[in-house]
Amino acid sequence: MLDDFLIRSLLAGALMVLVAAPMGCLMVWQRLAFLADTLGHASVLGVALGLMMSLHPMVGVLIVILVIMLIVSQSMGGKPVAMSESVLAIISHTGLAAGILLLSLTGAANISLEAILFGDLLATSMSDLGFIALTVFILLFLLWQHWTSFVAVSVSPEIAQAEGIPVQKVQFILYLMIALLIAVMMKVMGVLLIGAMLVIPVNAARVFSRGPEQMMVISLFFGLMSLLSGMFMSWQYDLQTGPAIVVMAAVWLLLSLFIKKLNKTLT
Amino acid sequence: MPLVTTKNIHYKIGDRHILRDINFVLESGQITTVIGPNGAGKSSLVNIVIGLNTQFEGQVERMPGLTIGYLPQNSKINPLMPITVKRLMSLTRKVSDQQLLQALEKTGVASLLNQQVKSLSGGETQRVMLARAILGKPDLLVLDEPTAGVDVTGEIEMYELIAQIRDGSGCAILMVSHDLHLVMSKTDQVLCLNQHLCCSGKPESVSKHPEYLALFGDKTESIAVYTHHHDHVHSLDGGCEGCVHNAENTDHAG
Repeated sequence: MLDDFLIRSLLAGALMVLVAAPMGCLMVWQRLAFLADTLGHASVLGVALGLMMSLHPMVGVLIVILVIMLIVSQSMGGKPVAMSESVLAIISHTGLAAGILLLSLTGAANISLEAILFGDLLATSMSDLGFIALTVFILLFLLWQHWTSFVAVSVSPEIAQAEGIPVQKVQFILYLMIALLIAVMMKVMGVLLIGAMLVIPVNAARVFSRGPEQMMVISLFFGLMSLLSGMFMSWQYDLQTGPAIVVMAAVWLLLSLFIKKLNKTLT
Repeated sequence: MPLVTTKNIHYKIGDRHILRDINFVLESGQITTVIGPNGAGKSSLVNIVIGLNTQFEGQVERMPGLTIGYLPQNSKINPLMPITVKRLMSLTRKVSDQQLLQALEKTGVASLLNQQVKSLSGGETQRVMLARAILGKPDLLVLDEPTAGVDVTGEIEMYELIAQIRDGSGCAILMVSHDLHLVMSKTDQVLCLNQHLCCSGKPESVSKHPEYLALFGDKTESIAVYTHHHDHVHSLDGGCEGCVHNAENTDHAG
């Protein structure tokens, strides 16, 4: 018999994976993986500010991430890709450090730093689940609506532009979606591990993919397998859930690389 | 009626003049080549002609209902994405399998249909891109450096292919090239551009024009090894048809 909290966390995890697969693909294709990490780390500051202003932490995170995204995309003419690694690293670490200091200053006793850093899937409340479901629904809708444009811009912004796709607008929508995604994933994966769930299953999928949509579907498969096996390991051996999921994702990645290699030597 | 007529085009970014006082006409069925040094405004001009850029002064009159196929400069395909030639062809629009194959056959790469784009060579990629550009049977084909990433032999083949496409479909072609000699025999009109139109007209007359020589003459001479441009194809035994290695030919760089 499954406990209620387990079903809630499974649902939350599955919803997250459902949207992490296509978003992760787009971010890997457009070399935005490092940006996801940066935003993840900086969202500690968002949690702290949210608590100080007695808002829901996810709202605080969303605000901070949106501000960073705006600064980032403005300073580079709408292209975070071109942003230097050091600028991203500066934002990342400053956000993390300032957030941790603020958290200790507010003396928020009811907030565990560990839960912020590594996530707390098993503590998913009904309101969390509702927030996640709503966000995932919005993101999936936007993905469905703009998928052709997103893929075209990822393949070649020049061609997309020439063939009538409003590249800047499309990219702006994508950045907003990334901000929303990070805010919702923070609760589940923790700020340090968000990037992992966006990047690792996608790279496992790349090994077997011949087309963009196929890559997305296979990413979804690897994401779900990581979630289920991670949660199982966490349940079985009393491990932290977030890190267990990420480690299992890495195991699936290694497995897929191994299968690919085996296939090559056999044929 | 001509396909495109430009009247007194001026274009500047900030205070920098990119183009000034550009007038020319694109006639149907003709191949027009834009040549000019780096920063001459070639791509800017192309973007204005096809309507991608509207922030200019002057007028561009297009024939009503004009359809344009476009191959952008440096249209590199993201190597991080798995994508087949087939999917690339229908990236932004719905295309029937038959149309798609026809276009690829015309550029000689139908066999690559199910290949991954990143596994193609530079020449193959440009042929696939050319096939994309001719997909909708456009009246005007605009090619911005169609031979980027292609070696010299491939370049000549590419220009021949472009001429074939014109002969087969009767579409007009506007292309940007950096080497007049390679495109010379296939071109009806040359626009020599360096922010303004230095000279324009038939390739033979442009190649003797003082402004053209001022722009390109010295450079061609300074490469001593290049005493002649390959305007012919060798057969496998090394012989060739229609070679004229005479003084006139070695001298045409001016």
